[in-house]
Order: sequence, then structure tokens, then C-alpha cells
Amino acid sequence: MSESISNEVFEILARHAELDRDKVTPSTPLQMSGVDSLLMVEIIFDLEEHFDISIPDELLGMQNQELETAADVVSLVEKLIQQKKTS
Amino acid sequence: MKRIVVTGMGCISSLGHNRKDFARKLMQGESGIKPITLFDTQGFRVKIAAEVKDYNERDFFPEKQLTKLDRYTQFALLASREAVSDAGLDLSGPAAERTAVVHGTGIGGQSTQEISYQRIYSQGNKRLHPFTVPKLIPSAGASWISLDLGITGPAFATTSACSSAGHAIGMGLLLLRAGIVDVAVTGGSEALITHTTIKAWESLRVMSSDTCRPFSKNRSGMVIGEGAGTLIFETLEHARARRARIYAELAGFGMSSDAHDMLQPLDKGAARAMRAALDDAQMGPADIDYINAHGTATPQNDPTETRAIREVCGAHADKLAVSSTKSIHGHTLGAASALEAIVTIQALQEQKAPPTANYMEPDPQCDLDYVPNKARPMSITAAMSNSFAFGGLNTVLVFKTYDES
Repeated sequence: MSESISNEVFEILARHAELDRDKVTPSTPLQMSGVDSLLMVEIIFDLEEHFDISIPDELLGMQNQELETAADVVSLVEKLIQQKKTS
Repeated sequence: MKRIVVTGMGCISSLGHNRKDFARKLMQGESGIKPITLFDTQGFRVKIAAEVKDYNERDFFPEKQLTKLDRYTQFALLASREAVSDAGLDLSGPAAERTAVVHGTGIGGQSTQEISYQRIYSQGNKRLHPFTVPKLIPSAGASWISLDLGITGPAFATTSACSSAGHAIGMGLLLLRAGIVDVAVTGGSEALITHTTIKAWESLRVMSSDTCRPFSKNRSGMVIGEGAGTLIFETLEHARARRARIYAELAGFGMSSDAHDMLQPLDKGAARAMRAALDDAQMGPADIDYINAHGTATPQNDPTETRAIREVCGAHADKLAVSSTKSIHGHTLGAASALEAIVTIQALQEQKAPPTANYMEPDPQCDLDYVPNKARPMSITAAMSNSFAFGGLNTVLVFKTYDES
């Protein structure tokens, strides 16, 4: 996990979930932080803008099990940044 | 209380430029959802919509008038002209003053706004066309209907996102019951298949990129449509006096607001509107045979609406035919309640429940009879049409077959 990417992701998550920045760790569950599907849409928008990436709808899905924790969000962002570099 | 009946209907949609084509394709489940042609969708996630096809505005309006008519106003006018002629109404003389126009829209002249911003911000133009303001206001449709048809009674627009036309029909009903007018020309119009609007909807992550599959487990979101619908309502005495053909009776109207969230629907709010409509109609849930659902095919709407129907109808819910025809004509937003009121009346007229198209797999959270993929002949004496808008603004209409006694 890149230090700077996870820091930036955690900051975005903390701001939306109205948590102190140091309360967000890789294992913070998104559900527990009061992140509902609509707040997630806003977070996705901020992540896309901040990292200049495009997060496909499929990854958000209706019953998505892939985005459970803050660390999952970081690895998704990292994957998409990597994809952008190689494409 | 005065009885209110429907004597005329007109519409333009992805299913055709008139009501006949609409009704035929509706019952065949022939979907108007196709690749977008109104703008270049390169770089879009969403590349489909239910557009009005083969439409050349010059076939309907003189060049000079077109500088004043946004696409949404053109649709409002075409649907209203058809409805008035269908009703065989003569609006000359004193009748003009005793007629109201209440026509809804979610946004209004969106393409006019977009073209204007583009001229100023990206093309560096210094001036806009002088009719930009009268073209873009959301009451332009209501104004043009009144001046095109010579109607001089009360005229205004209603706006409540996807319930805009539902509120328009409801306000028409109240004006008629109050004895303020004898005839109400009501409905809604929307033309939002524009570059910026689709981008904005895309960001909400509620849009499907394949098709609209209401109540199906693999549903993937809504698909935007465009068009307009107009219905002519009259007091029964007025319709009888002029020996008008009566399609159906508008038996009840219910409204509610969720006071909950700008985006998330609430089952209790939806249920309150449905109950209010039944109370207004002095009917019980067991009197209803068919429900034209709001059924947007978003993950949130369909189970919420299913719960609301179960809450209101109890055991009778399992006897109902429920379909979402948005799978066929798309979600036409401010026109939706008008087009779907026409669908509901067609169901009564043809004694046939229109299908939910594109239905593939049952969802345990959506466990009603959704009339999957094929219209069903059945006895329908009363039917309900639901509209639950963003921001929690709900309208429900109850129609029944006209009984002379």
C-alpha cells in the first residue's frame, strides 16, 4: 500500500464520514463509519476527481462485497492508477 | 362530490408520435430504449435512452415559431393538440374561460439552457438569442398550450421531478371538483436527453448501461426517456352534456412527501400516498386489479415500492398485476405520470395488463406478480398509477372504468 495514496484516500473518507483523520485505519469498515450508498457515490466522485481515475459502475455493484474496508478503497484506487499508467 | 372523467388523450414518446402507436407498442412490449443519437456519447458510461425517433420539428411547426419553442415545449404542444382533438372539444366561445391548463415538467427548457451556456462559455459568443428566457422557463409548455389552443382559464406548470405530471393531473382534478373550470388539459413534458443532463445522471450512479429491467434481480438502474402526455379531464356533467366519449373515471388522487431524503425513497411515504388515493376514491385495496408501478429499476426503488404495495394491500397484493412500463418507454421524468396515466387507462380500455419488459430473474425482495415480458388479458375495473419522485414527492392516481349509473 502506497503511503501517500492511502493517506489521501483516508483523508477523503474521514471528511465524508465526519471522522477524525486518525480514526480511519486500513481496517475501518465502511458500513461502521456511516457510509451509505449515497455517501459512497459522493466519495467515488471525489476519488475520481482527486486521482484523475474513472471508477466503473460494476465495481460499486448492488451487493458489492469488494469494498468493505478503507483498505479495499485504497487498493481499488491503486489498481486504477496502475491501469491508467499502463494504458 | 363531482365525478371527473377522462375524454381525451395524446402523447409523443419513444414509441411513436401519437397515442395509437404508443398503445400498440406498449402492449407488445416493444421497447423504445435504443442507442442515443441526440449527441455524441463517446466517453459516456450511459449510451442508451428512450428518444423520440424520426422527429423533425419542421414537420410540425413553422420556422418562425421554432425560435420560441424548446424541444420540451414542442412535445407538450403536440401531445395537447392530439388530446384536445381526440376529445372532440370545441374551445371557442365561453368554453375557453372555463378550461384550465396544468402541465408539468421536471426541468423545462434544458436544451435551450445548454445551447446558451455553450455559446457564452465555450464559443465565446457575446450575445444570446432574444427568446432564450421565454424558451427555457418551465412554464413555457403551459403558456404555449394555452395560446395554441386559445384556452383562457387558469394555466400554470407544476414541478416535482418525476411526479410533476402527477401533481398537474391532481391540480386539474381539484380545479374541476371545486367548480372553477369544466375542463382541464393536464399532463407533463420532458426533453432531457442532453449531453450535460446524461452526464449528471451518470454521476448519480443510478443509470443502467444495458437496459431497464424493473423488479428483475439483475436490474441495473434506470434509463431516461423523453416525450409528453396530455389528458383531458372534465366534470361528468360537462362530458355528458356534450355527449363526449368517456375513457375512464379519475376516481382518486393521493399525495404525500417522505420528509426523509433527497434521493432515497421511503416505503412509508409511498404507502401514505397510495392510501390517500384509495381514500379519496372511497375504495379499498381489494378494489384494485392493476398497478402501474413507479418501477424505475434502481436497486433502491423496486424493493421499497414492493414493500409499500404489500403494506397498503395486505393479502390482496398477491392477487394484483403490477407492471413497470418504464422498461418500454423509459423514465420520462416530468412526463412520466402523464404517460403512465395513459398506460393505466389503456389497461382499463383494453382489459389487458401491459408487461414489465426485460424481466429476467425473480428477486426475493421484489415478490409480486410483475406481468413479466408479455401483456396479460384480464378483468380490470380499477387501476392505480404510482409516481415517487426524488426528494420524496409522491403522487398516486386511481382510475376506474366508467359506469353510467
